[in-house]
Amino acid sequence: MEEVWVLPAIPFAVFVVLGLVNRLIPRNGDFLAVLGMAAVVVLVGFVLADFQGAFDGEFFHPAAGANTYAFDWIDIGDGFFLIEFSTYVDAITMVMLPVVSFVALMVLVYSVGYMHGEQRYGWYFAALSLFVAAMLLLVISGNLLQLYLAWEGVGLASYLLIGFYWERQSAAEAAKKAFITTRIGDVGLLIGIILLWRVTGSFDIQEIIHAAEAGVFSETYLTIAMLFLFAGAAGKSAQFPLHVWLPDAMEGPTPVSALIHAATMVVAGVYLVARMLPVYDEVLIARDVVLYTGLLTAFMAATMGLVATDIKRVLAFSTISQLGFMFVALGVGAVTAAMFHLFTHAFFKSLLFLGSGSVIHATEEQEVSELGGLRKKMPITAFTFTIGSLALAGIPIFAGFWSKDEILHDLQKDGPLWAYALLAATAGLTAIYTTRLVLLTFFGKPRNQHAYDHAHESPPIMTVPLLLLASLATVAGLVVYSDVGQLFGFVGGIGEVVIAHGEPHVFAIDWAFAGAATATAIAGIVIGFAYWWGDAKRAVQAQSWAPELHQLFARRYYLDELYQAFINYGILGLSSVVAWFDKRVVNETGVDGGTQFIGFLGHRLKFLQTGRIPNYALGMALGVAALAIVAIGTT
Amino acid sequence: MIPLENFLILSGILFATGLYGVLARRSAILILMSVELMLAAVSINFVAFAAYLDGEAFSGLVFALFVITVAAAEVGLALGIVLRLFRERRTSYVDAADSLKW
Repeated sequence: MEEVWVLPAIPFAVFVVLGLVNRLIPRNGDFLAVLGMAAVVVLVGFVLADFQGAFDGEFFHPAAGANTYAFDWIDIGDGFFLIEFSTYVDAITMVMLPVVSFVALMVLVYSVGYMHGEQRYGWYFAALSLFVAAMLLLVISGNLLQLYLAWEGVGLASYLLIGFYWERQSAAEAAKKAFITTRIGDVGLLIGIILLWRVTGSFDIQEIIHAAEAGVFSETYLTIAMLFLFAGAAGKSAQFPLHVWLPDAMEGPTPVSALIHAATMVVAGVYLVARMLPVYDEVLIARDVVLYTGLLTAFMAATMGLVATDIKRVLAFSTISQLGFMFVALGVGAVTAAMFHLFTHAFFKSLLFLGSGSVIHATEEQEVSELGGLRKKMPITAFTFTIGSLALAGIPIFAGFWSKDEILHDLQKDGPLWAYALLAATAGLTAIYTTRLVLLTFFGKPRNQHAYDHAHESPPIMTVPLLLLASLATVAGLVVYSDVGQLFGFVGGIGEVVIAHGEPHVFAIDWAFAGAATATAIAGIVIGFAYWWGDAKRAVQAQSWAPELHQLFARRYYLDELYQAFINYGILGLSSVVAWFDKRVVNETGVDGGTQFIGFLGHRLKFLQTGRIPNYALGMALGVAALAIVAIGTT
Repeated sequence: MIPLENFLILSGILFATGLYGVLARRSAILILMSVELMLAAVSINFVAFAAYLDGEAFSGLVFALFVITVAAAEVGLALGIVLRLFRERRTSYVDAADSLKW
């Protein structure tokens, strides 16, 4: 576990090599990226075994974490300002590592098929490797500044990959939008980090947690600091109001969407809050903000996904909504439920994205209006996509059921009743829009005959990752009952105990409760069938019955227009005032005015030079007289 | 002994007269004569102070000698310039030399 820093080092080395010389290597070095990733997956297995042996089986104890300090980077004032490189491995890290590495491996293998023949093929793998390196560094970081470094690293990789097809104006703008929106959050994160450092003098996460628990901070100060930290998490994890970048981020290649915007980068915010949750438990106001932001986002995004017409957009809204679920869990203090949902969501969401990529690759179409009836032409894709959808909707034995049920259960226990009702309704909405997507894409009559004829099943290099992820989407939920799950802190089963932020609580399945959740999901699926089966007459009718509501969802609650108006009137308005000041006051009055004044003086004073000797003689005489008066006056 | 102030007053009157001549005369020669008058006044001043206040050392007298020498050299130079001016402008009035103006 001391050498866990090797994990990010491998993909980073791949990035450097591919970034510099990918044109000189055969096949642009894609095999290097895949092999590197496979090596990381294997090494994660070693770390897992090491972790299991390290704490006498007590690895789900909250104090079970290995803090490895590697070296001091900058040390000012003998410890006053210390930037060090440190790693920390605990149960949360052990959830993130396999998720990141395995999904990345699946995506990389899939990309070899999907990106075949694209220009800048080598750079694609370089940027993906950079991303994985930064993400791995993020999850093993032991101090906040290193985390922030990795945070910015994943943001950069995201920018590079969203803007991969930068010849397309919309892609370039989407990349810009993603980076700027997350940057706004990142400023908050940095302010939060600085605020925490100011009081504790340290960036080390464990030290800060202990300081907070010891009561070093004043309540208000800590609340504000944690709210700033959450701003960063909200930006990166696309929560309201900073969610606007994620739907547009679908401009990037589909495997990128699967990796970055479904499974890994967007969960960085969830990871951060989960890591710092002991501190959030000290300031419940901040934790409540997390809860309600997640709740609002989950519901809003579900409504927007209901009317979206591009497959990837629907999945993007679904991701935002599911991230909201995770934040709701964190908001009631249920770390295990949130991390569990992160775990399962990564598998089925990336599966769904890769499946959609398979459809796009085959038909060259993304809009649902051009698809339909594809299950006959692409059976494997349809099958795996359906499995992913069942997991997303929360149907029992599939992975999503277990984690979503856990979240709803914890919310019902520890949160307000109306919040539980709203989240349950959102879960129902999830089932509805998921069914809609599956029906419109794979069933019914094909809407675009040309695309339909052109469609074919994807090559094995793409379908094998799909099948692997589908099998995980099926069984990943059952880790609660197994020893494997124990490693991740998901010790479950009836009567077992798992630690959530310090207080043991029973991770047991309440069957009545689960039944209610399942019933909601099935009801959602039934509604989906009723409205969208066949030629979807009922759906068209419903749309005409409430057009403003439909528009509200379709236009994403007009938030993009709102932000644009703010930029146009607020920011550009302010900048035009500043520009006026710079032009009129500083330049014309100050600079030009100064020169003009000197010129004016010269114009007037030149008349002193008459050229007449008597005038000069008078001048001399007067000058001497003045000097004499001054000289005599001062003696 | 004649009081020192008498000499100083004399020197002052001579200097003022010379100054008036420099400022109020048009003819270059007359201006030069007035300058000489100022120089003479200054010399009287120095000699008076030397005789009355200096005692054994008489630096004022030496200074007066220098003034005479410098005056002589200066007048030679100045008359040369006046001659040049006369050849250019056909007049020796100083207000003829006013081309270096704005």
